[in-house]
Amino acid sequence: MSEFDPSKIKVDKVIDARGTSCPGPLLAAKRGITEVPVDGVIEVLSSDPGTLRDLPLWAKKVGHEYLGAVEEAGYWRIFVRRKK
Amino acid sequence: MGEKLAMVVFSGSADRLTGMAILAGAASAMDWEVDIFLQLWGVYAFKKDVMKKNLNFSEFNELKEAVLKRIQELNLPMWFDILREAKETGKVYIYACSTAAKAWNVTKDDLEMVDDIIGAGEFLEKIRDANVTLFI
Repeated sequence: MSEFDPSKIKVDKVIDARGTSCPGPLLAAKRGITEVPVDGVIEVLSSDPGTLRDLPLWAKKVGHEYLGAVEEAGYWRIFVRRKK
Repeated sequence: MGEKLAMVVFSGSADRLTGMAILAGAASAMDWEVDIFLQLWGVYAFKKDVMKKNLNFSEFNELKEAVLKRIQELNLPMWFDILREAKETGKVYIYACSTAAKAWNVTKDDLEMVDDIIGAGEFLEKIRDANVTLFI
């Protein structure tokens, strides 16, 4: 099974939501995604493990594309493509 | 049509309002519409001269100091900042009960983040199609 490789993705905006908890990262992602063009990609940094579950659900619900996530030391990098 | 969350907020203590704000924030982030009806203590807590000073806890008051310290350690935002962010980025409408407004002798100008002062009947009409309705 292939690993998600973020180095192949051009990120338009990094949203650092580390240190915030639900609903912080969701609201930051919602606000941040309006600042990239359609088909642009946001990278959300979160130290809240719940975000790893929340963001893919959020992306699906509001109509964007969840690309994948990578774990770093103490936080996750979560990638979402704006689709509308 | 999208989802709608309705919350009737009778409480005015900061701990319960935090619960309300987190639900409003999550719903708003998921593109739900959120309709909030403030009653009695809820209206009082949204007064401009009360909102940010409110450190009332509804339960376990002996743990209040410990909780406030923990909130600071985790750098958690206050409930009104979570609610404001939700309101600025989504469809969150906050209404104050007209009878409570009369009781506290307040108009819209005396309240923070309140869109309108309306009666219970009007609010119930607004939320009859809500998917989720909560009393806080």
